[in-house]
Amino acid sequence: MKPRTLFTWMLRESRGAFGRFAFFVACLAVGVAAVVAIAGLAAGLDSGIRSEARQLLAADLAIESRRALPDAFDLAQLLPAGSRTAAMREMVTVVAALPQNGKPGRSQLVELKAVERGYPFYGKLAVVPARPLSALLAPDAAVVAPELIGALGLRRDQPLLFRIGTADFRVAGEVSAEPDRVGIGTAFGPRVFLSMAGLERAGLIAKGSRVSYKTLIALPAGVPADRLEKIAEQLRAALPATEAYRVETFRQAQPQLRRSFAQVGRFLGLVALLSLFVGGIGVAQSVRAWLAGRLDAIAILKCLGLRPREVLALYLGQTALLGLVGSLIGILLGAAVQAAVPHLFGDLIPAALVRPWQPGALLRGLGLGVGVALLFSLPPLAGLLRVPPSRVLRRDAEPLPVHRATAGFAFVALAAGLLALTFAQTESLLLSAQFVGALTLATALLAVAATLLAKSIGRLPRFSSIALRHGLGALARPGAATVGAIVALGLGVITVLTMSLVERRISHELSRELPSNAPSAFLVDIQPEQWAGVRALLTRARADKIDSVPVVMARISSINGRPVDRIAAERKKRQEQSEEQGGNENREERGRRWALTREQRLTYLEKLPADNVVVAGKLWSDPTHGEVSLEKSFAEDLGVGLGSKLGFDVQGVPLTLVVTSLRTVDWGTFGINFYLVVEPGILEQAPQQRVATARLANGSEQHVQDLLAASYPNVTFLRIREILGKILGVLQRIGLGVRFLGGFTVLSGIAILAGAISAGSVRRGREVALLKTLGMTRRQVATAFAVEYALIGGVAGLLGAGTGAALTWGVITRGFELPWEAEPARLALAVVFSIVLSVIAGLAASVRALERRPIEVLRTE
Amino acid sequence: MTSTPRIELRRLFRRLPSGGRDLTILDGIDLSIAVGEFVAVLGPSGSGKSTLLALMAGLDRPTSGEILLDGRPIQALSEDGLARLRRAELGFVFQSFQLLGNLTARENVLLPLELLDSPGSGARADELLAEVGLQDRGHHYPTQLSGGEQQRVALARAFATRPPILLADEPTGNLDGATGRKILEILLDLRERHGTTMVLVTHDPAVAALADRRIHLRDGRIEREERSAASSPAPAATESAA
Repeated sequence: MKPRTLFTWMLRESRGAFGRFAFFVACLAVGVAAVVAIAGLAAGLDSGIRSEARQLLAADLAIESRRALPDAFDLAQLLPAGSRTAAMREMVTVVAALPQNGKPGRSQLVELKAVERGYPFYGKLAVVPARPLSALLAPDAAVVAPELIGALGLRRDQPLLFRIGTADFRVAGEVSAEPDRVGIGTAFGPRVFLSMAGLERAGLIAKGSRVSYKTLIALPAGVPADRLEKIAEQLRAALPATEAYRVETFRQAQPQLRRSFAQVGRFLGLVALLSLFVGGIGVAQSVRAWLAGRLDAIAILKCLGLRPREVLALYLGQTALLGLVGSLIGILLGAAVQAAVPHLFGDLIPAALVRPWQPGALLRGLGLGVGVALLFSLPPLAGLLRVPPSRVLRRDAEPLPVHRATAGFAFVALAAGLLALTFAQTESLLLSAQFVGALTLATALLAVAATLLAKSIGRLPRFSSIALRHGLGALARPGAATVGAIVALGLGVITVLTMSLVERRISHELSRELPSNAPSAFLVDIQPEQWAGVRALLTRARADKIDSVPVVMARISSINGRPVDRIAAERKKRQEQSEEQGGNENREERGRRWALTREQRLTYLEKLPADNVVVAGKLWSDPTHGEVSLEKSFAEDLGVGLGSKLGFDVQGVPLTLVVTSLRTVDWGTFGINFYLVVEPGILEQAPQQRVATARLANGSEQHVQDLLAASYPNVTFLRIREILGKILGVLQRIGLGVRFLGGFTVLSGIAILAGAISAGSVRRGREVALLKTLGMTRRQVATAFAVEYALIGGVAGLLGAGTGAALTWGVITRGFELPWEAEPARLALAVVFSIVLSVIAGLAASVRALERRPIEVLRTE
Repeated sequence: MTSTPRIELRRLFRRLPSGGRDLTILDGIDLSIAVGEFVAVLGPSGSGKSTLLALMAGLDRPTSGEILLDGRPIQALSEDGLARLRRAELGFVFQSFQLLGNLTARENVLLPLELLDSPGSGARADELLAEVGLQDRGHHYPTQLSGGEQQRVALARAFATRPPILLADEPTGNLDGATGRKILEILLDLRERHGTTMVLVTHDPAVAALADRRIHLRDGRIEREERSAASSPAPAATESAA
């Protein structure tokens, strides 16, 4: 047969099947839409970050650190002639309106950024008035975000003056956007720009203050791209060999930002894929039902001389065609969602960065969609090979059972295909295997339970209600789509329930009233000599549970005599090798390396706080050495244990301490805790600051902050409730997105159920006609149907809720290490929801069968 | 008469497993049908008529025995081989018409022609529809046609590829008397003009009377045969042909 003829036949075979194919297409389109939307967003964001990389860095190169560049470091000498540099300092601090009538003005936590002329080298600041920042930023001037003016209660009809640190500043301009600040909803407060001279005037920088230092570098025009990396390498070589200094080029395009987006994208991509796979079940079902209705036609075709493989080609081609249509519709839907989402979640996704045109994502949707359509229809299509042509003479000639080998092959192909598709989506073999394995397990569980249900119904005693009896019987009858419907709906319930339970549990953990004895505020950057005054201020403000400890900043320089830089380099090399060998990106390993080289906060205490438990060794038990106590998991990250010798660099002064105890910490108390606690009597003379916690009466935080800002402007006051609220807000938005995606899966489940029901509508029509002929009222028939669908929904709901609860338990207790809280009401709600949806979808799909007059149906027999 | 018979059945058995024991549908049939012959098969329900037809068409496989078309045994052919054989050599007419419901009348007639990739198939389909008197109804779907019209479409489809053999299973069984007679008239006329060998299964003695030969089946065996007096080139008897 010529391909053209085959194609014509395919189109003809599709006639009169619009309704049925609509379900096929709907099942597929929903999943494809989810995949495309997620892939499109992830890719759009990534390409946006890449193409805006120079603007996002505001420079060609940047050196970032927690300390200033060494005095001996001659930057200009390392750069090509004509390069420009601009230093930058960033910190979080509290600013305040000027006091009035002796009362302190309103205060506000802000993100301060002091810049030199030239910033930003690339990208544009949106400033009013529209003049260069350097022209606006006189030593007594600040450029601020408009919301600060409201927050401080400043009035625009008066001079806009406020206080930063110990100096007064006037507002010289308002900034609404800056190129190198990507909003992900994590800002502590409004932006304030100062000049370096202004920062100096404010007097905020003391030794040990939390300042991040950045030097922006713009190379002269015409420097070739490969020079950039070379210069970066030279800078890295010239800087002290520690990861405390990071050199980043715009070509790296925000590796951390992109990595975190990619991780979220990968997770969401799996959720989307799940809804596509659930859609695949619907595809398999509608193909099976469609073929069941085409048995006569297939027999005639075979009778007229069509070869089995031509029959297969015909229907496989048709499936591919439908898969194409479904995928295209899904792509359109997904693209629409992709375009809409950044505007709906503006505080999570930098909308302006998203590049909407992502052909890769569209192609991925097309490939995955057609792939899923073909894969899932393979098992039902395999049955085609065995339709006996003698069916034209004897209607009762049923399809022969599919060869074991054929069926086996179809399922192996299905599993391999799923793995391949998942790999295409996640690009991680391990993750794909885990995902497909879990999916197979859940599906098998649901399928076994559904089969047992269908079998056990036959053994039930006869009910007196005819509707109940009939509805139950319908579930058990051969050829009923019970199993498929239960599996699909069950998977949907699992997804949505697990997502929402996990998200609820974590939100709950974050939003619940703080433990009654927990502090409500953190105070950082307190100079030691200020502490007495701050303490008195807090006491006057009726704060209780006031606690304070000294903090000494230091770096670990060696472990058991080996320099950490070398250890870190070795670890990095090992990891790179394992990545080259196809291993996965190992976040834990990166975390460990960071633990080695980052700036550490040390404290010294005679007695540990109550939320610490020593689990190994003994506190301050060695009279001959200086001792340090380590948090257990931190010690594991460092790779040290009891007796290890840690060398420290305490702001230039070397110090060696022996690990004599390991502790666990209950971080949930919000007390002040440290990974590293040093024996008293060693660090007392080191440059240090204090941090403090206090519990304030609800609603008095603003007042205390105002008082502190007036008297101790260098002290940063952090409100725990407010910060938790911000994190909670972000989390809830992410949770909403995940549930939205999970909703796709439920939608697929419903489409599948309705599809399964309407696919059996011919048989259903006859059944209704017969029941009516026998004297059953329409109401009775509808009740019988409702019982059937309610059972399907109930079983799917119960199994889904059970599995979902187990999964949630795992995620909560293992993944997040939070105590488990059973939520029986939620689970019950899920079951009820599943039943109601199932009944609605079922009855809606049966309306036509119920409406028809018996004679119409019987006449066509 | 030394020419090879068009259809030849040798010691043909067909048994079906039925509830633990075998049910014999055909019980050792020997039959030879000459080129151009018109044979009617009669018998009560369950005598094996339809199974006999299905075996001749390669729609079913015998338990034992041989089926030869033009001297070629077909029981050893693969599914594909049988399919190719059917598309080239066999035409079918069924009691329940068996038109494809999602194709128009014309497309139903076109179907076997397209399978053979025969050139000018469109014109041929139109010509056939005209021959059965449905030249204006080609664009209609089966449900829009009466039973008699549907069967005429089926006739046009059966003769589309000019098959040397036509197998008809009670083609008038679902039709009223007048319509049935009309269909039969067309069928016999087409057969006459194409010189087709025809095996027709029927309950109706009046229909069977038109055949060259009548085979009476009972319990899977040939009970008796009758030859019409008027029947022209009398083929050799079964025994001598074998």
